Amino acid sequence: MLMLTGAATKVRIKEAEEYSKRLHKDFEPAFILDSFAEERLQEMTIDTTRAEIKYKDLAFAFIDVPGHEELIKNMISGASYGEVALLLVSVKKDEGIKDQTKRHLFISRMLGIGKLVVAVNKMDTIDYDKKTFDETSGELEKFITKIGFDRSEVSFVPISAYKGDNLMKKSPKMKWYGGKPLIEVLYEKAKGEEKKQTGSLRIITQGVIPGNAGEHVVGRIVSGNVKTGEKVSVLPQGMTVKVIGIMVKGKRVKSGKVGENVALQLDRNLGYAMRGSVMADPEHKPKVTDQVRLRIFVTGRFGKRTLAKFNGTEIACKSVNVIRNIDVTTGESSASKKAKILGAVEADVKLAKKVPVENYDVTRELGRFVLYSDGKFAGIGTVS
Amino acid sequence: MIAQDLKTLEERSIYIIREAKLKFKNIAALWSMGKDSTTMLALTRKAFLGKIPFPVIHIDNSIDFPETYAFREYLAKKWNFKVIVGHSDIKPDSVGSACCGQNKPETLKKIMKEYGFDALIVSIRRDEHAIRSKERYFSPRDKKFRWNYRNQPAELWDDYSSKLDTKGHVRVHPLLDWNELDIWRYVKQERIPINPLYFSRNGFRYRSLGCTHCTVALKSNAQKVDDIIKELEITKQEERSGRSMDKEREYVMQRLRALGYL
Repeated sequence: MLMLTGAATKVRIKEAEEYSKRLHKDFEPAFILDSFAEERLQEMTIDTTRAEIKYKDLAFAFIDVPGHEELIKNMISGASYGEVALLLVSVKKDEGIKDQTKRHLFISRMLGIGKLVVAVNKMDTIDYDKKTFDETSGELEKFITKIGFDRSEVSFVPISAYKGDNLMKKSPKMKWYGGKPLIEVLYEKAKGEEKKQTGSLRIITQGVIPGNAGEHVVGRIVSGNVKTGEKVSVLPQGMTVKVIGIMVKGKRVKSGKVGENVALQLDRNLGYAMRGSVMADPEHKPKVTDQVRLRIFVTGRFGKRTLAKFNGTEIACKSVNVIRNIDVTTGESSASKKAKILGAVEADVKLAKKVPVENYDVTRELGRFVLYSDGKFAGIGTVS
Repeated sequence: MIAQDLKTLEERSIYIIREAKLKFKNIAALWSMGKDSTTMLALTRKAFLGKIPFPVIHIDNSIDFPETYAFREYLAKKWNFKVIVGHSDIKPDSVGSACCGQNKPETLKKIMKEYGFDALIVSIRRDEHAIRSKERYFSPRDKKFRWNYRNQPAELWDDYSSKLDTKGHVRVHPLLDWNELDIWRYVKQERIPINPLYFSRNGFRYRSLGCTHCTVALKSNAQKVDDIIKELEITKQEERSGRSMDKEREYVMQRLRALGYL
C-alpha cells in the first residue's frame, strides 16, 4: 500500500530492492520500513516507525510495530499513539492466528482503541479461499467481542499485500467479498475518529514559566475548555484559583479548547511545584486518591521498588496487590495472584501520594500509569 | 494509524518543547539556519510567550554559505536569542560521512561538556531518512554520544524518557512527525523568516542545506514559499538528493547515528 500510494519514494523502494539483492532474496517490500541492518538480516521488525499516506482529503500515519514477544515494549510504544488499529493475520499454512495476534488485540483494546480493521493476508497462498477467510474471521470475531470491542466498529478484509489484492481496489479474484478495499475501509474509520470535544475541564500542567506579566502555568487541555474569569480547582493540592489570562501559541485569547497547549495567568502564584497537577472544573472534579485499581499489561518482573509514572511525575508504589489474572489469549479471568510477563492482571496499587484519577474511558490522561520496577519497564496500567 | 494535520503537529511540538525545557536542568537546541531548525525556533517562541529560553548551538565548519551566516546574525538579533558557535575543522578534501560524520560530533561533544547541557533539541524528521524514522521523541545518548538503537526506551502516551544511566544527554525531537511539505505550509502560515538559499536563483535552489562542500542546488524556479509548496506537491525527487552523504548506503547512516552523528 505504501508503494501503491506513492508514500514510499522511488529512492526508498530502490534501496530496499538493492538490499534484497545483496542478501540474495527476491524483492522484500518490508525493507521499506525495516531500515535497520539487523531487521533485514533477521527478517523481523525490531522497532516501531511511521509512514505517512495521503488518501483523498486525509493524511494518516501508519505506525508499524514489531510482532515478536520480546519486543513488546516497542510494540506498545508505537500502538499507544494509534487511533485505529490495523491487524494483519496471515492465512498461509502454518502461520495463522497466534497467541501474539490475540495479545496485540488485547493491548490495542486496553489502550482504548475502539476501531479495528483485520486484514486477512496472504489470500493468494490459499487460492483466495472464502472458507478459510470465514474461519479465520470467525475465530477472531469471538475473541474480539469477548475483550470488549464493539462488533460494529470492526471490519474484516481479505487481502494479498504482496499481489495487491483488495488494497486500493476490489480484487477480481475475490468476488465473494462484499466489502470495500482496505484503503477505503481505513479511510472511513480514520475519518470518523474525531477528537472528544465535550467533557469537564481537565488541564494537565507541565510546570510554570516566566512571562512579562508574571508567572504562567503551562499545560495541555485534555478535556473541556477554559475561559478567562473562570474558577478552576488545582489538584491534588485542593485550592481554587481564578484564571485571569489565557495565552495560546503566544497570543492572548478569551478561551482555550481541548487539545491546545495553554499558558494561564492565575490570580495568585502557585510556585514551581505544579508539574503533574490537574486543573479541573470545580463542579465536576476527578477523584483524588492514593489507592487505584488498575488493569495492568505486564512487561517485566515486579520487584522491590516499583514506580508509577503519571503525567510527567514519578510516584513510588507502596504495594501492588494482584486480585486476578486475565488470560490475554482468551479474555478469561482466573483467581491466580501471580503476575506473568506478557499477561494481564487486575491489581490494587497503593501510591505514596494522592493524585487526581479518573476512569481511563472517561479521561485517558487521568487514568493511565506507566510502571517501572527496579529501574525496568514493568507494565502499563489503566484505571478500570 | 493516526490522522495528522498542521494543528495537531504544531500542538504536539509545542508540548514536546515545553516538556524538554521543564524536565531538564540545562537544555540547548541545534540550529543549522535551515528551514526545519528555524521552524523549531518559531515553535519555541509560541511555547514560551515569544521568547527562546535556551541557547542555540551552531556547529560551524567555516564553509557554510555566506547567506547562511548572514541569516544567523539577522534572526538571532530579530528574535533575541543566544547563539553558541562551535568551530569544527574540516579536512580540505573530505566529503560526506568522512567529513560531517566525524568533525561535527566532536565539536558538539566539546560544547555539551563545556556548558553541561543535559538535553539537546534536534530538528530531525522521520520522513527525511529511513534511519531517522526509527527515532523516539526523547532519545537518550550515552557519554560518548552513542545511540543504543537496539534497546530504545519505552515511549508511550506522553511519557517521555528522561532517565540517564550514564553521563550522557537526551536528544529531543519535536519535529519527528512533520514532513517536508508540512514545514513549508507552516512557514507560509506563520510567515517564518527563511534562509534565502531555499529560493530559486538562476533556475536553481537548495532544497536541503548543508555546507558548501556537500550541498548541491537542484533545478527549480520556485521563488516564493507558495512556489515551493506547489513544487513539492508534484515532485518525485527526494528531499536530500542534493546531499552527498545520503547517497551512501543506509547502514552507513545507521552506523553514523549510532555513533552520535546528528
